[in-house]
Amino acid sequence: MTDPIESRVFDIIAKSAGVDREKVTPETTFKDLGLGSLDAIEVIFDIEEAFDIHLPEQDANLDADTASGLVAAVRQAMASGTPATT
Amino acid sequence: MSSSTDDRQVVITGAGAVSALGFGADVLWDAMKAGRVGIAPLVHPRAESLRVRVAAQVPAFDPSTLFDERTLPLLDRVSQFGLLAANEAMAQSGLHFDEASGTRAAVIVGTGVGGETTQDAASEKLYGENSQRLHPLTIVRIMANAVSSHICVRHGITGPSFAVSSACASANHAIAQAVLAIRSGLVDVAITGGTEACLSYGVFRAWEAMRVLSDDTCRPFCRQRHGLVLGEGAGMFVIESLAHARARGAKVLAHIAGVGMSADAGDIVAPSDAGAARAMRAALADARMDPADVDYINAHGTGTLANDVTETRAIHMALGSHAMHPAVSSTKSMHGHALGASGALELIAVMGALTEGVIPPTMNALEPDPACNLDIVFHAARQTPVRAALSNSFAFGGLNAVLALRA
Repeated sequence: MTDPIESRVFDIIAKSAGVDREKVTPETTFKDLGLGSLDAIEVIFDIEEAFDIHLPEQDANLDADTASGLVAAVRQAMASGTPATT
Repeated sequence: MSSSTDDRQVVITGAGAVSALGFGADVLWDAMKAGRVGIAPLVHPRAESLRVRVAAQVPAFDPSTLFDERTLPLLDRVSQFGLLAANEAMAQSGLHFDEASGTRAAVIVGTGVGGETTQDAASEKLYGENSQRLHPLTIVRIMANAVSSHICVRHGITGPSFAVSSACASANHAIAQAVLAIRSGLVDVAITGGTEACLSYGVFRAWEAMRVLSDDTCRPFCRQRHGLVLGEGAGMFVIESLAHARARGAKVLAHIAGVGMSADAGDIVAPSDAGAARAMRAALADARMDPADVDYINAHGTGTLANDVTETRAIHMALGSHAMHPAVSSTKSMHGHALGASGALELIAVMGALTEGVIPPTMNALEPDPACNLDIVFHAARQTPVRAALSNSFAFGGLNAVLALRA
């Protein structure tokens, strides 16, 4: 696990879910970790704050999203340079 | 029907509304029948910086032309809406209170956030401008009971008066309290409903963080739905015992036959089909209504992924084999989600459906969501006789309130 973005996202997910960091893998979903919809938007908030990015606004079914999907979304937001303030 | 049963019945004899579709209950109903959508690009001083793009906002108006100069400084926007709607409802009812009859009337009003416009301005002044002083009327404008108090003052009502708060179900919870107060014999008449003026910078930012707002419009029960659209406004009603209405020869607009309330006691935001179904069943039982009697359901229908599919399951649980019978629509697609006022605006839709046999449509749908397997009325109003109807409101916090109505 050398990718710093993935590592940081997984740290945030593990902390929110209250599980050992080793339990979070690229295939892990919020549902696997017992995270409800409110937990999920808190994770997204923590990630936005940590990376100073804005993840796309959506009324998404977050249960099915995997940890790796979230990492990809972070990369995309960082690459597009979407300022966090808009 | 025996006279004792008649005495217990509660009827609506006046209605008023302020909404994105204009000023007046008739204006709102005519717009809903026509499928007019009050959702439009957001008009707000900070609109440029917000991610929210659309809202269902009350058309611009000058309050100084509507309220006297002594009253106006006391009124937050939420109280202005509530008073306008209450005055309209009172005018239609033909009621006037004197010293004696005023004690036999109640004012019970739902609001989710109360005087938010004043609250937001006070925060800006304190934290943005580093002011150390707020306007001396800040408290009396913000307090959630302000609108109830002003309605009492304006109409000489001296009986029980208070605010009810249950987020998006506030209006239905308030109306339920008023119905029970009349049934119990505590009062003969009540002014009740809901009011909300929640479209502040702070509230928009808070809703953005919930990630349930649509970026274009509200598409309830549509496969492509992706969130709710915030609205504002007020709906107020004069309700009274049938005996009281008959004694004064008042025109009965509709019967509030039953009320049903429940708490999910589960997730604080994710809706529960079981909790919603319990409130619907309770309303039916209270009204002594069979599921087969229900010809129309005004759905909570927020247009979020979670609500519409959960509400569909709840309707199936509550009505069983009759679930495909009633026409269902969400008028939030037109007047937006006015939080604590929603149930009151939707009661106008239900009254119209009962009176005129017209189901107001669910607008903005691209294609029906097959997971919402109900008889949804999309795109245009439908003519059909409506004997009885349910009006659903389900709040964040898992608090549900359903009204059952008869013509």
